[in-house]
Amino acid sequence: MNRTLVEPALGAPAPTRRDPVVRLGRTVALPVHPRSVLWCLLLLLVVLGVAVATLSLGRLGIPLPRIPVVVSGGGEGTEAFVFERLRGPRLAVALGTGAALGLSGALFQSVTRNPLGSPDVIGLGAGAGAGAACAALLMPGIVPAPVGALLGATLAMVVVASVTGTGLRHPGRLIVAGIGVAAMAQAFTHFVVSVMARDQASVLSAYINGSLGARDWGHAAIIWGAVLLSVPLLMFLAGPIAVNEMGDELSDALGASAGRTRTLAIGLSVVLSAAAVAVAGPIAFVALTAPQIARRLSRAPGPNLVLSAITGALVLAAADLAVQRSPIGDGLPVGLFTMALGGVYLGCLLIREWRKGVL
Amino acid sequence: MNPVLSAEGLTLGYGAEPVVRDLDLNVAEGEFTVIVGPNGCGKSTLLKALGRINRPVSGRVLLRGADIRAQRAKAVARRLAMLPQSPIAPEGITVRGLAARGRFPHHTLLRQWSPADDEAIDRALELTGLSDLADSQVGSLSGGQRQRAWVAMVLAQDTDVLLLDEPTTYLDIAHQYDLLELFADLHRRGRTIVAVLHDLAQAARFATRLVLMHRGEVVADGLPEEVITAHRVEEVFGLPCDVVPDPRTRTPLVIPHERT
Repeated sequence: MNRTLVEPALGAPAPTRRDPVVRLGRTVALPVHPRSVLWCLLLLLVVLGVAVATLSLGRLGIPLPRIPVVVSGGGEGTEAFVFERLRGPRLAVALGTGAALGLSGALFQSVTRNPLGSPDVIGLGAGAGAGAACAALLMPGIVPAPVGALLGATLAMVVVASVTGTGLRHPGRLIVAGIGVAAMAQAFTHFVVSVMARDQASVLSAYINGSLGARDWGHAAIIWGAVLLSVPLLMFLAGPIAVNEMGDELSDALGASAGRTRTLAIGLSVVLSAAAVAVAGPIAFVALTAPQIARRLSRAPGPNLVLSAITGALVLAAADLAVQRSPIGDGLPVGLFTMALGGVYLGCLLIREWRKGVL
Repeated sequence: MNPVLSAEGLTLGYGAEPVVRDLDLNVAEGEFTVIVGPNGCGKSTLLKALGRINRPVSGRVLLRGADIRAQRAKAVARRLAMLPQSPIAPEGITVRGLAARGRFPHHTLLRQWSPADDEAIDRALELTGLSDLADSQVGSLSGGQRQRAWVAMVLAQDTDVLLLDEPTTYLDIAHQYDLLELFADLHRRGRTIVAVLHDLAQAARFATRLVLMHRGEVVADGLPEEVITAHRVEEVFGLPCDVVPDPRTRTPLVIPHERT
């Protein structure tokens, strides 16, 4: 086993520059990419800044010096109300949802080997919107809208996976099927809204565009629960996913079954994305852009899972801060804002790729 | 001598028409076996089955006597490496990073680095002449260098058996011979190599043993000069030809007849 071949003609090979390795006793040894770690720490600092700004800015803002006290449960009166009922849960949901979307997109883009292969591109968000519309309008009081969103997302995924004829194996077919399913789901949502409830459309728009308004700690628990529960599976998948990027045959030859890796990664991506939709509605473009920003920052190959999660959390929390403090007002769903930002980003990306001659 | 790698009654493919039918093959330690044959004869399919990529319809593949399907994939990958036809280089990966991916079978969930990694990677880069390019992006390399980087990846896997699926495709003739000399060198250093090649002259020059396949079966197996005959090339490839000895190595060289 594992014997090193005897090669008498060569002495010790010339050493090349290596990545540092983080060790914990004899059981844990993980190589780390210094640039990625640096960006993770830097972005965490910015996240902290955005979080403090979210809590302290504006008319009801908690004064800066009081924030540590209020966050640790020692607040009183208005400031406690602002933290516990208004801004605290909203911030927690924004961070958790952003992280979940970042992870979801990183997993999906990696195993489909396609930067556009993202949960929001393959119709998951639209499916969730349709599910929410269905639950809230056709079966009010029977199925809660978040459950409807989850069911819709899952159904969209199942339909996409079955109409390809090859399951989740072919990235190209997956994306084409996703576009079709997304179009049908959106048409269905518009149909339900226009026929059933013109007057409820403003409430429902949150489930079509994605919004972080009026969230509570229950929402935060759902999304953070999903993110934390996914950690063990993410640790298991990180290695096989990185190998999988080199193609199915090589992945199989290296001992990481390509089919199993892809199924697990896409399954986890769907769960994370559905959890995000369930608490905040289909927030556009975070899953698509966060992994790509992370990749550009780290310049490391592979899925960049941790950095994608932090980037997603930062993007969404910052977008929500901008929405809350924008002169247009509090009612603007953050999903509209990320869609606008994401559209600009996608445009820049396409121009860049076109100039490089990739497209 | 016990074979390192063997196929027993191997049938491969999908549906009613198998690509490879009831095939037996034994690869002995230290051989440089080259599999040749016309397009669609099943040579790549066979190699993938030997590398545990394709699941046989029936029959089995034995690595040192043990069925490779009965073992964990990573355990097999620690002893048998395969370079497929068109692997994908992840965006932004360096030559060293690519070679390091070959260490995957040696890692566990919590130990994604082992002391043997650095030496195996550095040695793989040295053998492929890429030590000076270790920090270069794979995407910036020339075709020949890039294929060497892939070879470095399978060498870093540190196995004594190496399977290569048409490794010289898309390279110009100088880089083809450059790479084949590298494989011959690795073979001299003790690796058992099984390669699929298209070019009969190259196959005959570098193989210690040639396996000629046709319609999913082995039709000839032995020393290159035994396998490559004018009669057989015409029969299998449908190409009327003369076979003459290579003026430098005396290995068989196929000279096709001009069409009249």
